[in-house]
Amino acid sequence: MCKNMPPLELAIQFHGHICPGLLIGVRAAEFAQKHLDISQDYDEELLAVVETDSCGVDAIQAILGCTFGKGNLIFNDYGKNVYTIASRDKNQAVRIAQKYGATSFRESERFRELNRKQVLSEEEAAEKENLIGVLFEKIMTMPLEDLFTWEDVELKMPGKAQIHATRQCAVCGEGVMETRTRQTETGILCIPCYNKLGGEA
Amino acid sequence: MCEANVYIDRGAGEELLMEKVDRIIPGEENNIFMESIFGERRVVKARIREMELVHHRIILEEVKEATGVRELEIWLEPDTDHGHFHEGEEVSLKLLKGYNMKADPTAGLQDIKAFVVSEGDKREVHLHEHDESKNIILGQETEGLIQVYVNEEDKLYTKLIVEIGHHHHHGLEPLGLPLEIVPSNYSHARMGENYEIQVLKDGEPLTGAEVRATYSGTQNRDYPHHLTTDSEGKTRLYLTARGNYLFTVKHDGITSTFTLMKSF
Ligand SMILES: [Zn+2]
Ligand SMILES: [Zn+2]
Repeated sequence: MCKNMPPLELAIQFHGHICPGLLIGVRAAEFAQKHLDISQDYDEELLAVVETDSCGVDAIQAILGCTFGKGNLIFNDYGKNVYTIASRDKNQAVRIAQKYGATSFRESERFRELNRKQVLSEEEAAEKENLIGVLFEKIMTMPLEDLFTWEDVELKMPGKAQIHATRQCAVCGEGVMETRTRQTETGILCIPCYNKLGGEA
Repeated sequence: MCEANVYIDRGAGEELLMEKVDRIIPGEENNIFMESIFGERRVVKARIREMELVHHRIILEEVKEATGVRELEIWLEPDTDHGHFHEGEEVSLKLLKGYNMKADPTAGLQDIKAFVVSEGDKREVHLHEHDESKNIILGQETEGLIQVYVNEEDKLYTKLIVEIGHHHHHGLEPLGLPLEIVPSNYSHARMGENYEIQVLKDGEPLTGAEVRATYSGTQNRDYPHHLTTDSEGKTRLYLTARGNYLFTVKHDGITSTFTLMKSF
């Protein structure tokens, strides 16, 4: 029982708390698994292109195994709840977009309001806990068609992550990946040092 | 335009409690539930003193909570943070008394009897005093689906099901308590699933009974869930919290609880 946690529990454990954003990511990850017909213990690599950096991405990482460290999680900073999941094996990709207004329940608004508060009274803490419960059930039992739109897309899989040589920065002395260095009169610099010197040395 | 502002008198005059309230439901135990047109919700312990409908004012009077007024219940909790037991592991359960899964250390336990039921065999077990708590310890040899129940003065009952080792997904026999909560389909309960229970009174389904449900660590002072049994004595709850749940039913002077152990 200790291994093989179900996706929902994996995501909550990884993220640390339960929140509506995470649960939407859980639904998206589960949908991708079904749509791409990949089993849960699928160990072939998937690729995820996410257009948000909020809670939901943690579900994608925990459930689909697409992580920054492995290089199969690509973040486009568009501020949209859109997840494109691709399977190299199946040569298939699906773009999943959260529908506008899909989760704008009155409970969501109140939840966000309480979430912004620094200090909650005993009553408010209980209220927030109950709101999470209500939203949990709503989001997890909603028909997928009400939550997302999706389409199959062509996605070029990037090559395997490349390993670059490490150079030493002439100012701070720390190591820096070759492709991220700046060649200057002072020598080879890392980006922070290059910026500190006003972008021109 | 029918909403009203709600004021409360906590003993020092009226103060605004909530604006533009469009729903008020007086509940049990002096609870008043309010909802505003903004979707804000609150529950307060109060009684309605006056409703000035023309002025859209509702005035509540706070009901001070007298300690010890609440009827206490007993329940069992696994004495492990892990939520379940492994084969060969010593099974230790804590017997607690309190309300809404919050133990009241001052509550005394009298005339306690504890039993273990496994594959039709029933045996009485002793309670061990353990750092101010009373524990039921089952031997390491135990395996399978085991039901443990405790009875205090034939008024308070509690029951818990322990699953040790492999999964046992067959049906569970009711124990035959005067008032008993029985899970409909025993299986490993998980968040994001509906959990169904049945209430039996003297072995017969009890219709229209109020079943309250809570979970460990709730920040609610009172039970967060109130359910009602259907014509088959059944009701269900969608599980959204981590940890163990407690279901409670009260009928004819008997309070019976059931602890649902969850791994996560
Ligand atoms: Zn979150
Ligand atoms: Zn540097």
